[in-house]
Amino acid sequence: MFDMKSYAQPPSFVRLGRTLLYTAAFNTIIALLLVMVGFGRPFIHTLLYSQCIGLTICMCVVWSLYAVRNRGVAARSIAVVAALVLGAIAGTALGATFIQLPGDPIHTKSMYLWQILGISILFGMIITYFFHSKEKLSATIHLAQEERIKRLSSEKLALEADLKRLQAQVEPHFLFNTLSNIVSLMDSDPAKAKTMQMDLIRYLRTALGRIRDKATTLGQEADLIRAYLDIFKIRMGERLQYTIDIPDQLKELPLAPMLLQPIVENALLHGLEPKIEGGHIRIRAEEQGGIVSIEISDSGNGMVDHQQPGIGLANVKRRLAQLYGKQGALVIRENQPCGAVVVVAIPVEERI
Amino acid sequence: MMPVHPKAVIADDEAPLRAYLRAQLAEVWPDLAICAEAANGREAVAAVEAHKPNIAFLDIRMPGLNGMQVAEKIAASCRIVFVTAYDDYAVDAFEKEAVDYLLKPVVKERLQLTVTRLKAKLAENAMLPDQANKWLRHLIDQVAASSSPPFLQWLRVQHGDGVQLIAVPDVIYFQAGDKYTTVITASGESLIRKSIRDLAAELDPNCFCQIHRGTIVNLTHIDKVSRSLTGRGVIRLKERSETLTISRSYLHCFKQM
Repeated sequence: MFDMKSYAQPPSFVRLGRTLLYTAAFNTIIALLLVMVGFGRPFIHTLLYSQCIGLTICMCVVWSLYAVRNRGVAARSIAVVAALVLGAIAGTALGATFIQLPGDPIHTKSMYLWQILGISILFGMIITYFFHSKEKLSATIHLAQEERIKRLSSEKLALEADLKRLQAQVEPHFLFNTLSNIVSLMDSDPAKAKTMQMDLIRYLRTALGRIRDKATTLGQEADLIRAYLDIFKIRMGERLQYTIDIPDQLKELPLAPMLLQPIVENALLHGLEPKIEGGHIRIRAEEQGGIVSIEISDSGNGMVDHQQPGIGLANVKRRLAQLYGKQGALVIRENQPCGAVVVVAIPVEERI
Repeated sequence: MMPVHPKAVIADDEAPLRAYLRAQLAEVWPDLAICAEAANGREAVAAVEAHKPNIAFLDIRMPGLNGMQVAEKIAASCRIVFVTAYDDYAVDAFEKEAVDYLLKPVVKERLQLTVTRLKAKLAENAMLPDQANKWLRHLIDQVAASSSPPFLQWLRVQHGDGVQLIAVPDVIYFQAGDKYTTVITASGESLIRKSIRDLAAELDPNCFCQIHRGTIVNLTHIDKVSRSLTGRGVIRLKERSETLTISRSYLHCFKQM
């Protein structure tokens, strides 16, 4: 029996064509076999007969499956068997209209007909069974593939959404505070207000624009952090100093966007801003044995025992694991005499 | 009676914002004298104690003491207006408690409204209402509850010649040793001096569970809990290959599973 499910819809012409082609090939093989064992001659007659019967059976079975598409398995099985027998009879009759069966006193025409009918039903069953198992197999493979594609694409979507969400974190408090500062400076110090606004634009362009970019470089990330820190420098005044020291040969290192900014943000929000005298942030990078270490150190309050670890650091850790697997690392140390040091280590061979 | 020469203190860690508020107030309320500016919480408290102003404009996020903590110390001596850049959880609380607050950047119309209200309050009663402390206490409790949980969040481990910090949520489990406790994370093992008993008291119970006299496990790193043939609980972990056994006396924690 053909695959019940796929024939529940009207079969497409392509599918029907393919089925008929297969059947025709089988018919040819059957004709050859028959001639070889000495049944029916000449070959061309046997071939014609075989095609007539085979193709008729095929059409009948396909049609019957479509006709009983909404019934149970038993009904469909009976329909297929009935179609098989009917098809065999009709095909034999059709063949007989084209070719005169040889008749002699011993082998009468009707004897020939019965034989042909028997052979037709036998081969019809074999071939129908072949189609049935083939369809079933391909349906299973198809289903498994579909499942796989669905799973993979949903995983990919989740991952992408995750990355986007992590990257699009422009802290609202930062944004509003910076905008308020710009407004405040507009009358008293327009030049400074302009600088600050340009820094904000520079920061937002990278922070928000990079969501669409797949990869940036360490140099670009450093520029982003510079703009970010310049904004804080206006806001915090003398309380903030910073140095960024990245060797030229590492500036082209491919880096996931917004990977380091959350660490700097964390150092400012939890380390330096709450400290009355403020302090220093230092960012430097070095390469050793195929591993680039980027160190962000501050002289702020450091990590207090009961202070909740910033969501930013946890996100960076997760992204490192997603992007570099075991090769990426984030280590936090105590700074001397105060503050924290965060070291991000990534392999030079980037896998973004 | 409204004071003839009302005085105010402005506290904000960001100089441009202090200057701006000062300029805005000069326009809206020319009679108000700004007797001091403060760049952090401690300066704010000192300025209020030194100058005895009628009003204090307090930024919420300030180094030293935050705006709430300053308010708690000075609420008995002057009226308070909170100033904040961002419409966050604090603003909800302000609305509920009918506290005066301003959003940065301060808009003149909104400032005008606050000034009118302040003038009315100063005129009707020079004395401060007794409830002031009650709502402040309430606010501070709310903010404290939402900001810092009292549980241990960071571990210090000796590493080479420095001290490394491990975020507690990254810990998979703690295992008691002879003298030290071993901390197991996805990236390795380290030793700390804190005992399992001390840790059990300091860790967030929603996240960590003691499963044995010498073992505390992070529930978020558990892959599966099953029962062995002998009826013991066995924990399989997400990032580690070893399994942990739940001893009988702690099995009740997992009974609902």
